[in-house]
Amino acid sequence: MAKMMYRDAVVSTIAEEMARDENVVCLGEDIVGGMGTPGGPEAIGGIWSTSTGLFGKFGADRVIDTPISESAIMGAAAGLALSGKRPIAELMFADFIGVSLDQIWNQLAKFRYMFGGKTKCPAVIRMAYGAGYNAAAQHSQAVHQILTGMPGLKVVMPTTPDDVKGLLRTAIRDDDPVIFLEHKALYGVKGEVSDDPDYMIPFGHARLSRAGQDVTIVSTGLLLGFCEAVADKLAAEGIGCDVIDLRTTSPLDEETILDSVEVTGRLIVVDEAPPRCSLGADICALVAEKAFASLKAPPLSVNPPHTPVPFARELETAYLPSVDKIEAAVRKVLSYR
Amino acid sequence: MANIKPFCMPKWGIEMTEGTIAEWMVKEGEAFAKGQLLCLIETDKITNEVEAEYDAVLKRLLTPASEEAHPVGALLAVFADADTPDAEIDAFIAAFKPAETSVAAKGGGAAPAPAPASAPAAAPATPAREPKKIVTNRAISPEALKLAEAEGVDIEPITGSGRNGRITYQDVVQALRPERAASFKGTAQLVADTPEAFASPLARRIAAQHGIALSGITGTGPRGRISKADVLALVKPTTAAPAVAFGAPFELVANEPSVQPFDKVRKVVARRLTEAKQTIPHFYLRVSASVDALMDLRKTANLVLGTKASINDYIVKAVALALVRHPDVNVQVHGDAVHSFPHADVAIAVASPKGLVTPIVRQADRMHIAQIAATTRALIDKAQAGKLGFEDMDGGTFSVSNLGMFGIEQFDAIINPPQGAILAVGGANRVAVETASGDIAFETRIQLTMSVDHRAIDGAAGAQFLQTLKGLLEAPEGLFA
Repeated sequence: MAKMMYRDAVVSTIAEEMARDENVVCLGEDIVGGMGTPGGPEAIGGIWSTSTGLFGKFGADRVIDTPISESAIMGAAAGLALSGKRPIAELMFADFIGVSLDQIWNQLAKFRYMFGGKTKCPAVIRMAYGAGYNAAAQHSQAVHQILTGMPGLKVVMPTTPDDVKGLLRTAIRDDDPVIFLEHKALYGVKGEVSDDPDYMIPFGHARLSRAGQDVTIVSTGLLLGFCEAVADKLAAEGIGCDVIDLRTTSPLDEETILDSVEVTGRLIVVDEAPPRCSLGADICALVAEKAFASLKAPPLSVNPPHTPVPFARELETAYLPSVDKIEAAVRKVLSYR
Repeated sequence: MANIKPFCMPKWGIEMTEGTIAEWMVKEGEAFAKGQLLCLIETDKITNEVEAEYDAVLKRLLTPASEEAHPVGALLAVFADADTPDAEIDAFIAAFKPAETSVAAKGGGAAPAPAPASAPAAAPATPAREPKKIVTNRAISPEALKLAEAEGVDIEPITGSGRNGRITYQDVVQALRPERAASFKGTAQLVADTPEAFASPLARRIAAQHGIALSGITGTGPRGRISKADVLALVKPTTAAPAVAFGAPFELVANEPSVQPFDKVRKVVARRLTEAKQTIPHFYLRVSASVDALMDLRKTANLVLGTKASINDYIVKAVALALVRHPDVNVQVHGDAVHSFPHADVAIAVASPKGLVTPIVRQADRMHIAQIAATTRALIDKAQAGKLGFEDMDGGTFSVSNLGMFGIEQFDAIINPPQGAILAVGGANRVAVETASGDIAFETRIQLTMSVDHRAIDGAAGAQFLQTLKGLLEAPEGLFA
């Protein structure tokens, strides 16, 4: 077990897979990090440092700096995937997905279906998402609810460096388009990571990070750590929380959620996207539909408000679900009478 | 003062004049919810739990649990909303006058409201709150407003959960329900994910608890994952005895008892049985009766009458007829007095989920066998549903307990005070007997053992009663006379 940062888990997994399979190629804006600058390639590094060293190891044929055109990146990834490569395309900010949505939504996600299963589309689209960096309304959004609702895409939202390792490898080796959402605020988080060169975490396999029998808390990404903090605080009061890290929102590990709610009878979903038509709403509806008989209180989703992400630090802090807000929601559900 | 309500000693039947509070389950100042147990009240005949009929707070407890008896209608406690000032409670108690109580009377206004005889719950039957018209500028759903008005809920303190604070039906329901005492199950065992075995968290926990290795299991869950069901299929049933050959040496394992403390009703039953057995001078009379004729007659009679009367129904009928012919056995013992009755109220012992209960077939001597069958069926159904009320069990002049269906040949029962005697009925057995001509013949006999309270009933009186009973059972035409 090595200890490494979330961002290093990204880059090391890509490097290992590129070394293992020559069909794996990377493309994105400024992923070489310094091309055309006085210092030359790699002088500066990509803005997230999630491609550091790849150019030096694998060269310009396999690590491709693209023009600033998200649509072109996704279109190129789609073509590469159709012609037998395994592209890993980087979208610098998940917020930019709108520009490239046709390539993702109508092309990548539909190929296998529309060609009657005669083609594969093994593309990975990595993107940095999430608030907490004062990056304002166009560079801070969580977009998973848009992508999760699109048939044909698999959507991965890793929380820990180890999950990055296991899930990114699964994504690269998967024959379908996979959206790989990396939270900006987690890039610097350190954790133990498996050394196994074939370490893979299957999709649709949630991780239980705290075990308890009184309330089920479902989340993923940055907010999962907040949920764990709440669970640890309540455990001291004798209140047990099952904290479920979804890992993938599509496919969804319905079984783990329902198994848990059938024991606890109470559900909180903590979601970084605004509330309407959100992952939180989706899971609350799932539980209301399939675990109604087990419920002791109405399921509750904790989301930011239905507004753009604010720029001001104070407002952005107020916008995001916090430990206090999650704790208040848990107590509200526990006190339902 | 609309929400202040008295809680008085209930009247559970004509004969009840006073009762004792055996235990309070709610403390002063505590909130309780409709259906919650309030206290255990004991009369000289019976003990029962009193359930709350509405949500409120026990604002003042005036009579703590003790041996002391309180007359029917006596003020025991005062219930009100949590925010009712003490001064109002004091004023209410000062102004309180016990009303004339009768079995069926319902309370009105602030008068004590004894429960109707048909309802075992003794709390006053007034609605929880007074309906009132609500005039408000706040956003509230029509159904929520209707409910709040009907229940007299003050909507001002409610935080609406709807858009822009609109009050929903659920919000009003929540405001109506009292806060519950928190009870939580706590944390659970966290079993780490193992990359080599793809299993759901619950499946992993169950596997760890039962020491099952996940690696060999084929999963039937989504994408071949191991689910709870896959692991449970491998859990060995705990009841299965280890496959050890009989006589083989074995290691002693811990033989820990599972301790089940008496519940509150059982405690009282236990005390009363002990008292009955220790203080009543029991003596026992045994006789056996041939029931071949009764069994034959039962077949025909049931067919003709269109009933499914059991042998026990016929025995109850015979007992009732014998009792009215021997009023000195049809008695209750009250202190230094013997009360003898013109009609036979026969209690039948029934096993129920709450333990042994003895509902009463009233004036069984006046009943046709089909009526007895219908009455006992109804009582047994009620007993098994745990729905017997006081009116079903109060009084009785004699008891019949039958364990024949379990193959018991004969047994001695404990008298159920204040009754004077109890008949224990054993199962029917084929017995060889000598006939009038000196030959051997088989006949079906049952064993009857009567436990008698010697303070009230002498041996000869008891024996004569049993003689009559035996005669009725052996010549059952008499049951239809």
